[in-house]
Amino acid sequence: MGLFSKFFKEPEIDMEKSNANAKKMRALFNHVVKDGDNYRLIFGYTEDVSRFNYGFVHGSKTKIGNLIVGWNEASQTIVVVPTVPDLSDCGDPTYYRRSEILKAYRNKYPTDAFIIYPDKKGYIGINAYDWLEDEKLYVYVSQDEELAAFTDFFMNSFATK
Amino acid sequence: MPFGEIGAFLLFLAAAFIFGNLWFHFMEAILSRINKLFTRRKNPPAWHTLPSDKED
Repeated sequence: MGLFSKFFKEPEIDMEKSNANAKKMRALFNHVVKDGDNYRLIFGYTEDVSRFNYGFVHGSKTKIGNLIVGWNEASQTIVVVPTVPDLSDCGDPTYYRRSEILKAYRNKYPTDAFIIYPDKKGYIGINAYDWLEDEKLYVYVSQDEELAAFTDFFMNSFATK
Repeated sequence: MPFGEIGAFLLFLAAAFIFGNLWFHFMEAILSRINKLFTRRKNPPAWHTLPSDKED
């Protein structure tokens, strides 16, 4: 038992780093979104998987895009701001208002994701977890409570089916 | 199987792996060049840096 727990230690969350990143997320979000404090925030990401075939070399590539996802329950709006894992920069926000979108639902397969179709032309799939350890690929933030609140909002107030 | 043959086989696998990697990056570079030719006139997306604490 002692030996087992020594070698298979559960990863520990560095809360200091997580809190610092949560503050950075808030600063970036408020910087680009008007009345940003009216939104609660979680970190999410998109996955873009594409196949390639270069003759005898073929396989698949996955591109990961980090997102700051804000939501406002009163206005039933989700705001998505693209960012990078170290939160040094961010892009312009995209607004998804429930009254304007085509459909929204939670997908279980192939991955657990929140899917929003703003129109027939495209969609966004937001993946979110309570914590992701790989800080080279994802924003290092612990967000159990916020993720539960976002899931509740999405399923009960935003999803269209 | 003699060690020489095992070594030669491993060497062949390593060479195939290295050549495959080089080929992949070569193809990626060509495709990104072609892609740039078609997206040259598009404006790059706006990107904002993290505001410093002093601004708060």
